[in-house]
Parts: sequence; C-alpha cells; structure tokens
Amino acid sequence: MKARLRAVWKTRELSTLFVLALEVALFTWYLWPESGRGHPFFNLSNFVLILKYSALYGIAAIGAAMVIISGGVDLAPGAVMALAGVVTGQLFVVQGYSLPVGVTAGILAGLLSGILSAVLVVFVSLPPFIATLGVMGIARGIAFIITEGRFFDLSSRLPAGWKPFGLPADWLAPIVLIVLAAVFQYLMQRFQWGRAVFALGGNETAALFSGIRVGRVKASVYIIAALLASLSGVILVVIQGQGRADLATGYELDIIASAVVGGASLTGGRGSVVGAVLGTLIFGVLRNALPQIPGATFYDRLIVGVVVVVIVVVDQFIARKGA
Amino acid sequence: MSGLAFQGVTKSFGAVRALKGVTFPVQPGEAHALVGENGAGKSTLMRVLAGIVRPDGGQLVWDGRRLELHSPRAALDQGIGMVYQEMLLFPNLSVSGNIFAGREVTGPGGRLREAEMRARTARLLGELHLAVSPDAEVASLSTAHHQLVQIARALAFECRILILDEPTTCLTDAETAHLFAILDRLQQRGVTLIYVSHKLDEVFRLCQRITVLRDGEHVGTFEAAKTTPREVVRSMVGRDIDPAARVPRSAPSDSPVVLAVDRLTRQPWFEDVTLAVRAGEIVGLFGLVGSGRSELLETLFGLYRADSGAVSFAGARVRFASPVQAIRTGLALVPEERHRQGLFFNLSVRDNLLLPAENASGAWRLDVRRERADSQRLVEQWRIKTPGVEAVPDRLSGGNQQKVVMAKWLRAAPRLLLLDEPTKGVDVGAKWEIHDLIRRQAEQGMGCLVVSSELPEMLALADRIVVLREGRVQGELPGAEADEESVMRLATAVRH
Ligand SMILES: Nc1ncnc2c1ncn2[C@@H]1O[C@H](COP(=O)(O)OP(=O)(O)OP(=O)(O)O)[C@@H](O)[C@H]1O
Ligand SMILES: [Mg+2]
Repeated sequence: MKARLRAVWKTRELSTLFVLALEVALFTWYLWPESGRGHPFFNLSNFVLILKYSALYGIAAIGAAMVIISGGVDLAPGAVMALAGVVTGQLFVVQGYSLPVGVTAGILAGLLSGILSAVLVVFVSLPPFIATLGVMGIARGIAFIITEGRFFDLSSRLPAGWKPFGLPADWLAPIVLIVLAAVFQYLMQRFQWGRAVFALGGNETAALFSGIRVGRVKASVYIIAALLASLSGVILVVIQGQGRADLATGYELDIIASAVVGGASLTGGRGSVVGAVLGTLIFGVLRNALPQIPGATFYDRLIVGVVVVVIVVVDQFIARKGA
Repeated sequence: MSGLAFQGVTKSFGAVRALKGVTFPVQPGEAHALVGENGAGKSTLMRVLAGIVRPDGGQLVWDGRRLELHSPRAALDQGIGMVYQEMLLFPNLSVSGNIFAGREVTGPGGRLREAEMRARTARLLGELHLAVSPDAEVASLSTAHHQLVQIARALAFECRILILDEPTTCLTDAETAHLFAILDRLQQRGVTLIYVSHKLDEVFRLCQRITVLRDGEHVGTFEAAKTTPREVVRSMVGRDIDPAARVPRSAPSDSPVVLAVDRLTRQPWFEDVTLAVRAGEIVGLFGLVGSGRSELLETLFGLYRADSGAVSFAGARVRFASPVQAIRTGLALVPEERHRQGLFFNLSVRDNLLLPAENASGAWRLDVRRERADSQRLVEQWRIKTPGVEAVPDRLSGGNQQKVVMAKWLRAAPRLLLLDEPTKGVDVGAKWEIHDLIRRQAEQGMGCLVVSSELPEMLALADRIVVLREGRVQGELPGAEADEESVMRLATAVRH
C-alpha cells in the first residue's frame, strides 16, 4: 500500500496536475473581484466553458501524445479537424444528409488522412515530420476545395435545445474526452499494444529485434491520432454550430505543446495520455483567464510561449531531483 | 540429419563480402563456439540465423527442414533466441518491461499480466545474481547491468537455439560464472548454444566444438577437447601469437606525476580514492561491476563533479567543469560504451577519427583534403577494416568500431589517457595491437589509467594495479608481481 502511494506520488501526471492547480490558484487570486461581485474566473459556468473548449484540443492531444511517445510527431491534427468538420458540414448542411451520415463521413475522412500518414511513414519511410506536414497541407487543401471558401451554418439545421444522447450539447466534448482519455490511458499502460508503442519510442531497432511488429504499431498510432482529430473536428462544428475550412488553424502546435507540457518527450518513449489532457487544460485555463486581465490581450501569445518553456524546464528539474 | 546446418550462406553489403559461402553443421544440444577476427562475419552469420539479415544465397537447415527466417519475429517463433553484440535496450522501460518487450505475458485482448512478468523477472535476475529491481528503469543502470538485462531477455523464453554474441564483454569473472552456470543448465535441457566470443578461455570452458571464420569463410571446426587455444588463434589470424604474454617493460618510477587524485569522493559511487599516475606509466584500475571504476574515470574527465577531494594534473590543481576543459588540459577518455558514448553513427569514419583533435585545435575551418589523408593514414596504422574513410561506423564490425574510438583519442595526443574497457569486443590479434599501441604511447610519456574487467588484460598491460571495491581503494599491486589470485582476493574480500 505504501509502495503504491509512493508510486502514485512519483507519477508524472501528478506534477502536471500540480501545475494546473497552481495556475488556477494564481488566476483566482489575481482576478479576485471587489467585494460583493461574483468571481469572474472561479465559477462553475466558467469552468464548464474551459472544459468545453479544452476538450476539443484534448481529444486530439490524446492522439498526439501517443504519436510522440512512439517517437514520431504529427503535424496534421489541426487540418484533419478542419477536414472532418467540413465534410460533416457539407453533407449535413449543403447536401441535406442526416447528421449521423455526415459525422460518419467526417470521421471516414479522418481515417483516410491517418492511413495516408501511416503509409508515408511506414512504407515510404518518410520522416514523420515531413509526412505529416504533407498530410496537413493535403487535408487543409481538400477542406478548402470542398467549401470553396464558404462558411456553413449547422445550427439552423439542428433542432433547438438539441440534446445528443440526452445530454446538453456543451457536455458532449468533455464527456467524450474523459471516456477516451480513460480508455487510451488504460490501453497504453496495461496492454501489449501500449507497451509496444513505448518500446518503439525508446529504441526502434531493439523493438524490431524483439519481434515487435514495428510497422503495424507505428501505423496504428498515426491512424488512431487522425481518427481522434477528426472526432474532435466533428464535435467542434456540431457544438459551435458552424464551420469553415480554416477551422482549427494552428491547433497542431498547441496540441503538441499540450502533450509535451503533460510529460511527453519529443525524443519518444515517455509521456502519457492523461498528462496530455491535463496539458490541454493548462492551456485552456490560460486562454480563458488571460483575456480577463486588463491590458493582457497583446501579451497572451508571449505568455503562452513562456509558460511552455517554464513548465518543461521545471519539470525536468523535478524529474532530476526525484530520480 | 538432425541439428542445425549452415549451407553455403553468402551475404554482401555493397562491395563488402561479409559471408562467402559458409557451410558447417552444429550438433543438436551442443555448445558451439564461433570465433574469428573482427569483421570475420560472425555477427552477420548469427544475424542471418536470428532473421535480421537476409542472406543473398545459401540456406539454413534444422532437422532436415529448411528454416524460413524472414523476420526477427519468425526466428523467435521458431525458438531461436539471440543476445546481441550491440546494446539493444529500451532505456525508457523498466527491467521487466525490457525483458518481455515484444513477448509480453498477456491475458485476453493483450492485457498485460504485470505481476507475473515481474515475478519471472525477479526469478531470472536472481539466477543471474543481479541485484536490481524488476521495476528499475533501464536508463538508470550501469553498462554491465545493461548487458545482464540483455542476457536475461534471451533467457526468459524457452528456445531451441540460443545465440550469444559476445555476451560477456563487460562482465567480470563472477558474473560470467553465473551466466555459464545457467548456460550449462540450458544445455542439459537440450538447448543448442552458439557462442561468439573473443575470449578463448571462456570458449574452452563452455563449448564442445569451435568453428573458426576468417574473412567470411569457414576455416575449420575443432573439437575443444582435442585442440589448444594456440591452434585456434593460429587458424583465426594466420600467425602465431600468445595473447596472454606479458610484454616486459620498465615502468618509470621517477618520472613526474601526471595525475594525482587525493581522497576523491562522489557518493554513492566512490569514496576517498587516492591514486597517482606517472608520465609513461600504465596504471590498471580493477574492480568488479559496481565498484565505481567507470564513474571514477568519468568524474576525472569532468563529466561529474566530485563531492570532495582534490585532483591535480601535472602538479597543478584542476577542477574540470566539463569534458571540454579536461580535453584542453590534455586528458582523453575512451568510454565504455562505444555505441552510446564513443561514436557518431551519423558521421563518417573520417569525421569520427578526427573530431577530438579538430576540436582541441580550435581551428574554424576544416581542411577536407588533409583530413582525408590523415584519416586514411590512421585507418592503415590501426588496420581498421572499413569500406573506406567515408563509410559510417555502423558498417564496421564491433571490434573495428572500437579501434576507431581508440584511434581518435590517441590522435589528439593526450598526456593522460583514461581507458574504459579498451579492448572490449576486440579480437586477439587486434587486442595485441592495441596493447602495443598503448605501450608505445606510454613510452613517449603518456600516462594511462585503464579500467578493464578482463583480469588477464590487466595483468598483461598494467605496470601497477589499483583495486577498487565498492568505491574504495583496497590496495595496490605491482603489475609484474600480481596474479589473478592476489588481485581477486583484494577485489572480493569481505569488508570488516
Ligand atoms: N550493415 C552493414 N553494412 C555494411 N557492411 C557491414 C554491415 N554489417 C557488417 N558489415 C561488414 O561485414 C563484415 C563482417 O562483419 P561482422 O559484424 O559480421 O563481423 P564480426 O565477425 O562479428 O566482427 P566483431 O568480432 O568485430 O564483432 C565487416 O567487414 C563489416 O564491416
Ligand atoms: Mg560481431
């Protein structure tokens, strides 16, 4: 029992959680309102809001974390989100198909992008950076071709007060996120497939010599990452009620940063799904709270950049002390 | 016909013909040694058997049936296990994670049975007398432990044929003995062992038959009981050398002290270490695995900071904050693990050979033409077998890689050379050459501090042997008078 506790204490996710708590405490203190008024940051509806938007990144970050742990990198998730969202919107709004058909098609588009990345990385042996850079351009390009630059409105076709699976639409993303995070954390920690992903990131040659089906494992990671990205893209257009081809532009770097802040090592072999999700929450809180600070508007990019570096440095420091 | 047979196996890498039609049988259940000079093709042949290298021609036959070995996986599935010459581990995984990588014990759907794997790992580590936890992360273990984990990985699974490619390069006698005890048991259970090594004493201890390869060709197979190490060496290298002979040399006793270490401590590795190396002297540092020997060298080289104590170099007190300072002052370290610490696998042999000297010279521009000539000369001087100076070291056999590492540091003309296992994986002939080169450098005034787990090497090379145990100096013996027994007594004596 004691050993268990110590193991929990040592897990990397805990230090990410600690950073998150610290961040929340800091903003709560800094944005403390004058007496009598409600707290602008520390209140339930604001937290739901943060959760709702972070969850969109979070679903994709699960995939990004797994790709990074396998020793690769995926630059495509932002573009895949857009492609999936646009395909769904196009079929649902413009072509008049039902929502399930639209959603399925959107996710299918994600699957195809994932397969393309996997083929380029595994069979063509392109470096993942280049392969997924290509897929990013292709996916985004197709999204633009489909919409021809137009914007479409889903909200008008969704019934008012629409409740998917009996839930308020706002809760869709957070719940999907939590379920998926739990599933993939479990798969990565407790299953042969997850162990193979870690092994691959630790030493690819050794993985090959150990009889791990390196190509298959690698392919699976890229395909899953793209599926998750397309899922978050579809959810994004559905809960925002609108979509266009430049959706989620630049998300890929935020998603990668979330995974890294959550403990994933870009050299592969280290990281966790839960950590990546906590990483997205850290960014979500920042993006939510910074605009509420008067005069901080122009600083938020700067602050986000500094925060990434600081967190990773602090973390390395802690890791070295703890070892 | 039962047993394993190599039949006309050929393999070329570009212009290099690594295997030129190798044919010989291995009896079922025997321990069969495979020996030969560096680059003779031993590892390549074994990699064919392990499904990693696809041969260009020929075939492998097991009990009269042709073996289909199109992937490592296929070989493993047919009960062919291998301990690789290179360190192939997952630094990010635990010991038990490493041992079971790719072949995890699983329940439904591939769910890992961690507890079972941990228990089996613990049992295996116990058999190897390896005192580490199954949960320890491999990155935190020492090189010798890496090697033992690698061995444990091959032992964890039942196999019909177990290949060991130089498994004992950084093990000491005690650990080798534990390994051999296990191998004996495996043999009794009917496992066929193929043992690749440059250590002929081990070969004769373990194996019933010995096959010699030279330049990719089968030279002969000997019955161990009916031959001598000398004869095997002769057929390996084509000339007569006695690997264990001590070359008489007069150690300087009045030359200036290059390195003086005074009560140096770095917890938890070593404590209160005091020793001195004179110009022109070869001092051996002997200790069992975990005695702090490599760490001591690395600390002297500025990789770590000592907790307390003092180091003087040529009479002046020094505190190196980094290897750069150490190199500029005239030190060089030939590290233990060439794969991780010694070579750049993305650079050519030429770059690898010249890098330290180039760095030390502080020149900005590189003169490629001169470099090419220089490196060509080094390749010839050290007799490094390489397709050319522009080849990447990946293409070289293990022993030739080691020569590159040695050559590059000696070219920088250090005043004090720190050597950590200088002849690890080097064949008998090349070992003799390396010893000779070290001696010649020493004659010109270079001081030398050598760590080696091979006692015979220590005894053949060192003017003085300092024995470490658990990070403390146990005593010092003059090289000419020391013998295996006196050194081992110091290295293993019970502490009071
Ligand atoms: N991947 C490769 N590409 C090119 N050449 C190679 C490759 N692998 C091995 N060689 C060459 O094949 C020859 C045989 O190498 P091998 O590693 O089998 O030798 P070895 O007998 O195991 O030597 P050592 O005792 O040094 O380990 C060498 O000349 C080596 O340079
Ligand atoms: Mg070899």
